[in-house]
Amino acid sequence: MKNPGWALMRGFWLSWLQYRSFLFILAFGWMIPPLIYMLVWMMVAGSQGIAGFSQGEFVAYYLVLILVNQITYAQTNWTVGDMIRVGEMNRILMRPIAPVYDPLASEIACKIIYLFFDVPLVIVLALILKPQFHIDFTEAALFIPALLAAWALRFLWGYWLALLAFWATKADALLVLQDTLVFLLGGQVAPVLLLPDWMGRLATALPFRYMVAFPVEILTGQVTGTAVLHGFLIQAGWLALAYILTMILWKNGVRRYGAVGG
Amino acid sequence: MTETIIAVKELSKNYRVPVRSEGLMSSLKSLVHPSYSQVKAVEDLNFEIGVGEMVGLIGPNGAGKTTTLKMLSGLLYPTAGEVRVAGYVPWERRPEYLRKISIVLGNKSQMLWDIPSMDSFRVLSEIYMVPEQEFRRTLDDLIDLLDMKDLLTKPVRNLSLGERMKCELTASLLYRPALLFLDEPTLGLDVSMQLRLRQFLKEYNRRNEVTVILTSHYMADVQALCPRVILIHYGKLLYDGALDGLARRLAPFKLIKITLDQKNGKTFQNFNQPDDKVELLEHEENRYVLRVEREQVPSLTARLLQSNSVTDLSIEDPPIEAVMDQIYTGGAA
Amino acid sequence: MRFFRLISQFIKVSFEEESAYRVNFAISLLTSLLTVGSAALSISVVFGQVDHVQGWTYASTLVVLGVYLIMNALRSLFINPGLESLAGMDGEVWTGKFDFSLLRPVDTQFMVTFRKWRLFSLIDLFFGVLVTGIAIYRMEASVSIGQILLFCLMICSGLAILYAILLFFSSLVFWSPAVMFTWVFNGILQLARYPLSMYPGWLRFILTWIVPVGIITTFPAQALTGELTVKVVILGIGLAVSLVILASCLFRRALRHYSSASS
Repeated sequence: MKNPGWALMRGFWLSWLQYRSFLFILAFGWMIPPLIYMLVWMMVAGSQGIAGFSQGEFVAYYLVLILVNQITYAQTNWTVGDMIRVGEMNRILMRPIAPVYDPLASEIACKIIYLFFDVPLVIVLALILKPQFHIDFTEAALFIPALLAAWALRFLWGYWLALLAFWATKADALLVLQDTLVFLLGGQVAPVLLLPDWMGRLATALPFRYMVAFPVEILTGQVTGTAVLHGFLIQAGWLALAYILTMILWKNGVRRYGAVGG
Repeated sequence: MTETIIAVKELSKNYRVPVRSEGLMSSLKSLVHPSYSQVKAVEDLNFEIGVGEMVGLIGPNGAGKTTTLKMLSGLLYPTAGEVRVAGYVPWERRPEYLRKISIVLGNKSQMLWDIPSMDSFRVLSEIYMVPEQEFRRTLDDLIDLLDMKDLLTKPVRNLSLGERMKCELTASLLYRPALLFLDEPTLGLDVSMQLRLRQFLKEYNRRNEVTVILTSHYMADVQALCPRVILIHYGKLLYDGALDGLARRLAPFKLIKITLDQKNGKTFQNFNQPDDKVELLEHEENRYVLRVEREQVPSLTARLLQSNSVTDLSIEDPPIEAVMDQIYTGGAA
Repeated sequence: MRFFRLISQFIKVSFEEESAYRVNFAISLLTSLLTVGSAALSISVVFGQVDHVQGWTYASTLVVLGVYLIMNALRSLFINPGLESLAGMDGEVWTGKFDFSLLRPVDTQFMVTFRKWRLFSLIDLFFGVLVTGIAIYRMEASVSIGQILLFCLMICSGLAILYAILLFFSSLVFWSPAVMFTWVFNGILQLARYPLSMYPGWLRFILTWIVPVGIITTFPAQALTGELTVKVVILGIGLAVSLVILASCLFRRALRHYSSASS
């Protein structure tokens, strides 16, 4: 029996491929905020650099951030919420495979397409803007697990938020909230190291940094040594919480489901 | 002789349709080099409809019914030909014309989803410039006819499909249009709701002389509501007239259902003569369903009755669905 | 006058739709606060490391942000909801419900522009004015009534330009239903949060002449900082009028296309 997940993914890929331009445009839209701040910080740094960051280091940081942000961005949560609101959940629940396959499959399929757009662009930008990297290869190897954990965290975090749609039919404002917090504390406005003290402390405690910035910081050498370990611990803690919340809300939500348009 | 309200002359419509086949390779190909083909949706239609008529546009999927409906209502420009509805050219979409027509699309709702239907009605009354008193009166009439009193204050998303359709009809008739275009209005409704809607449409048409153009896949709709049908197949007008006339012309058969007396031990084959044009459709023990050409019916019936073996006999018209199916799949002469 | 009656009906109905979601209310307020807060915070993070960038201080950059917020609020008040209901993800062109709108006895462009209101944006508008006011205060510049009137005029012309661009993009949806041009534009518009001189030269050029988002925020800001000249005012108004006319023509062209191709 073929892996049903793959069949779903292929199905998604074929239909989404026909809306290729839609996806490219989405990817472009997500790139813009990091690009803006990259330009601004480059202007601020000038030729002398600022707070220990040179222009090239800003470029490196933001280019990696663009890719990491893309890989971890959980867009499917918008559709999960909509599915519940418009009443399509019935169709998904009727399938012989676990409902999470649906958003997962589209997530993976779409990411591949987004990256088709992003990676070439990032390469071109890198050639023009000349990023500066200081990589310690042993520490940089931790980039992959950090990245995977970051994706899982962002996905589950958005998932449980979207599941709130079982109770309050229009919950995507909450997802906007999440995006804002990720923007501020997740390393997009500025590398977490450059945030004012109080923001920096918030960023370290809350999950948002671990959804985007943490892997980037590892790869660009901004965090080293025990700070990396601390980061992983905090990341794992938030990941566990997100998973628990998702399970609880799912069980209760499916029970409650049925009042709206079903 | 009623006044003509719709006049269609040599109406034609062609489309350019993108061609896509399945599979990964063709999807990739269509990315770079999309291909199109020319489709003749509607070809050379000619007909006239009078005020107050209820006409059914029938035909298989893709035959051009919806295209024709869209051209009549003004949503689509034709490729060739002339249409006059209530004296206007529909696709010019003059406000005076648009106030005279209404369209109901079976699977799409024009209601605002999250709020009570009453609010949608208010906005529509403003858009169509219906004076307050008239609005009240018409609304009360419709609420009565459709039995909608409790539905007005519920958000539309909480209504069932049937209740929503009632709202759609109310919305479309609020401003008392002269013409009502219905595209698959009973799609997805349960049988009793279909019946109620048909009753409503018939009654409303009788009272208000609204001209109704209806497309529907449910032959029961067409049979119940449309004394006149226009059959469109492969974009061409094949038939324009009464529905049973269509059946008679295109499927000149009748069904004879007989029950034979088992004591005699005779089977149907005993009565069949070699040059009879009779087809045995169904056979269960001693009950038979025969399809017989109309001219043969009297002689065959006589033979059967004389034989003293028949305990029950009935003569029926073939079900209209079967007729239509034959036409759709076989093409009509 | 009928148009005013229609608009007030549209506003009334939109308000009811908005209030149909109770959770949305509080969260929307939170979101507004967040948007303003995070925007101002972002600027202060940048200026936490330096005092001025290319001649712009924290205060003067804040003015540009204030204008951006005001523009965005006005746009989200009615232009965005209306055009989204037409051309957005769940829009009528996508769902096939556009046929209903096309057959209403009201000019389609008027309907599409004014029929959906997001009254919540009035709160964003308030915040935008607040930020602008605070920024002016911090700049310790005095502002005359004439400047304020000029400011309002430039806001209107900027809004008209914004409307024209959005209408232009929304019209494109009739040819290629799955493409979300407005999303692209939103991204580019983000660039207008910061004074144009904070960007490298090539970008400044693009944002002034090719996709004139810079004009939308810069001109009104200049009205308040006193750098506006008559020439620029005339340019702004002229641009606004001509772009609106152009976009409206494209929209009508798009309707004609829809009416010959829909199946």
